[in-house]
Amino acid sequence: MTAQTGWQRLSPRMLLVHPVHELIRELPLLIGGLVLGQTTGNQSWTVAVLALTAVVGVARWVTTSYRIDADPESGQVQLRAGLLHRKVLSVPRNRIRSVQTDARLLHRLLGLAVLRVSTGQEARADHGFELNAVRVDEVPRLRAILLAESSQPVEATTAEPAASSTVLARWQPSWLRYAPLSLSGLLTMAAATGLIYQTGAVGPLQHSRLVESALQAAQRAGIASTVAVIAAAVLVASLLLAVLRSLLTYGNLVLSRQADVLHLRHGTLRLREHTYDMSRLRGGTLRQPLLVRVFGGAGLDAVMTGVHGAGESSVLLPPCPRSTAESVLTGLVGDPNVVTGALRGHGRRAATRRWTRALGLPVLIGAALAVVTARTGTSVVPLWLWTAWLAITAWCALLAADRIGALGHRVDSNWLVMRAGSWERRRDCLATAGIIGWTVRQSPFQRRAGVATLVAATAAGTKRYPLIDVPEDQAWAVAAQASPWVADSIWAIR
Amino acid sequence: MVGGILDGVDNREPSPVVAGMVDPAHPPSRRAPLRWAIGGVVPWLLLGGGQAFWIAFDRRLLWLHIALAVVTVLGAVVSLAVVPLWRYRVHRWELGPQAVYTRTGWLVQERRIAPISRVQTVDTYRGPLDRLFGLANVTVTTASSAGAVHIAALDVAVADHLVAQLTDIAAIGAEDAT
Repeated sequence: MTAQTGWQRLSPRMLLVHPVHELIRELPLLIGGLVLGQTTGNQSWTVAVLALTAVVGVARWVTTSYRIDADPESGQVQLRAGLLHRKVLSVPRNRIRSVQTDARLLHRLLGLAVLRVSTGQEARADHGFELNAVRVDEVPRLRAILLAESSQPVEATTAEPAASSTVLARWQPSWLRYAPLSLSGLLTMAAATGLIYQTGAVGPLQHSRLVESALQAAQRAGIASTVAVIAAAVLVASLLLAVLRSLLTYGNLVLSRQADVLHLRHGTLRLREHTYDMSRLRGGTLRQPLLVRVFGGAGLDAVMTGVHGAGESSVLLPPCPRSTAESVLTGLVGDPNVVTGALRGHGRRAATRRWTRALGLPVLIGAALAVVTARTGTSVVPLWLWTAWLAITAWCALLAADRIGALGHRVDSNWLVMRAGSWERRRDCLATAGIIGWTVRQSPFQRRAGVATLVAATAAGTKRYPLIDVPEDQAWAVAAQASPWVADSIWAIR
Repeated sequence: MVGGILDGVDNREPSPVVAGMVDPAHPPSRRAPLRWAIGGVVPWLLLGGGQAFWIAFDRRLLWLHIALAVVTVLGAVVSLAVVPLWRYRVHRWELGPQAVYTRTGWLVQERRIAPISRVQTVDTYRGPLDRLFGLANVTVTTASSAGAVHIAALDVAVADHLVAQLTDIAAIGAEDAT
């Protein structure tokens, strides 16, 4: 150990950022100070609160320091922080799997970036090793040092000129056409509504002139048109929000590759950069939600150890033209058949199960409606109910047909490919070397139908990759083809 | 084109076609069904006691009492006799030279295999009831949360032997188990 030397401070520019963040965090206190100042007629209260927050901000910077051991094998990266509760976070350097940076608007204006280090195994990003913040021009050097061990040739990240990196994909404004097809806008609106209710702003709003005049207008227009207008407004707003969100989050995205390191940067206002160690990559997932698929789009997720399998942290490409996502994944996988090759379907029994699952309930409801009609005459069941039933049944049938078409797998000694789903279709391409367990699961219905769910367990991505309703006799054959240790085990029947 | 994820990994020989898997050989301890039955007895006792208490103070609605009693008895028989015996018939485990293989469940059945070279931890758990019956549960975890192998209700001697064997074999392959 190199004793207690080498502790470094974060960028002094944080002296400007911390007080602002501190002010935002202590807003209630500040308002309290203002009110107290107003009532007592003594503005020194406000000044005192302001000074206190500023001092706390400075103290945060003074008390935070970090160090990086020189030895990449047994060395540690340590972060010392805390004003009253001192804590020291230590991360072994050889455990570092990915490094990401994040620069919100204020950070960017000052040329700073937050640097986060995530380790493998537990895949929890919020373990909290973050350097908030370092100068942007220091980031490449730090990243090279931190990732030096995991991507063995250090020269690959430092000595080689940056020109050696190849750009795999670059964001285009046309990608925004897939943004409105997600529910993210609606979710944003729901969250905002919840926030408004929580802050208690609804009470005063209800009696404001704006709301009252709107209510009067609604009374004049009648219920049907009011509902229509509100629905249209919500729809338009959610579409706009979704596009805006996509633009802010993924605008200017560049995915590039430099030897064994994948580099992803995106964001228009808030800039985020991820660096992934390719030796941790175990494959990729092409995601095609129904609407995105209809318009010929696809998104790409990384399947990687040390990175959470679901959500934003694993996204390599947001919904973009399918050919782009496929060519990027082909580049990573190295075998075009894995990404676009034909799959082996799961046969008639799996198809029957899809039909019964999708149409079971609609058929029961239809039968109930028919019985009611037959017993009491046509007057009880109105025509619109039958129309709705017909529409829902047709929709379910289409969904089932689509799900049957999706279901399939492809396996060789290097790759396991699984495709399933209609509403959320995904094609998981998984390196068989990363599979560390197999489960064959059968419910009573599956046993009767002679099918089984085969689950590949891996340390990467979502950990659990199920292949539903494989014919019983094929399940172990797939596992054995992917994993020689299954084929060579004492239980295998040749 | 730049190389793929598997560059440097030789294309392995295609594995021979496997038609299926023999079930693992060893059942759990003979005392396992009894332990499972007793483990589930308390809620049923409380339910039965509650009903006896109710019937002692309120004799109206006799049909409801009878119906509830029938349901309770049926439920108790199924969960205290049928399910433990069924589980005992399904549960199997075996340790091979390269892998550990189990079959578990009753209504929904699972067969799970994990390679010993990727084992991270081997845990033994013994609750109060397990100790009373001289039983132990062994959990073998790998780096995947979806791949942990649970072997329930073994005789203590068998469990100890299994754990010793597992840790012996697992120590040989000291690679990064992800």
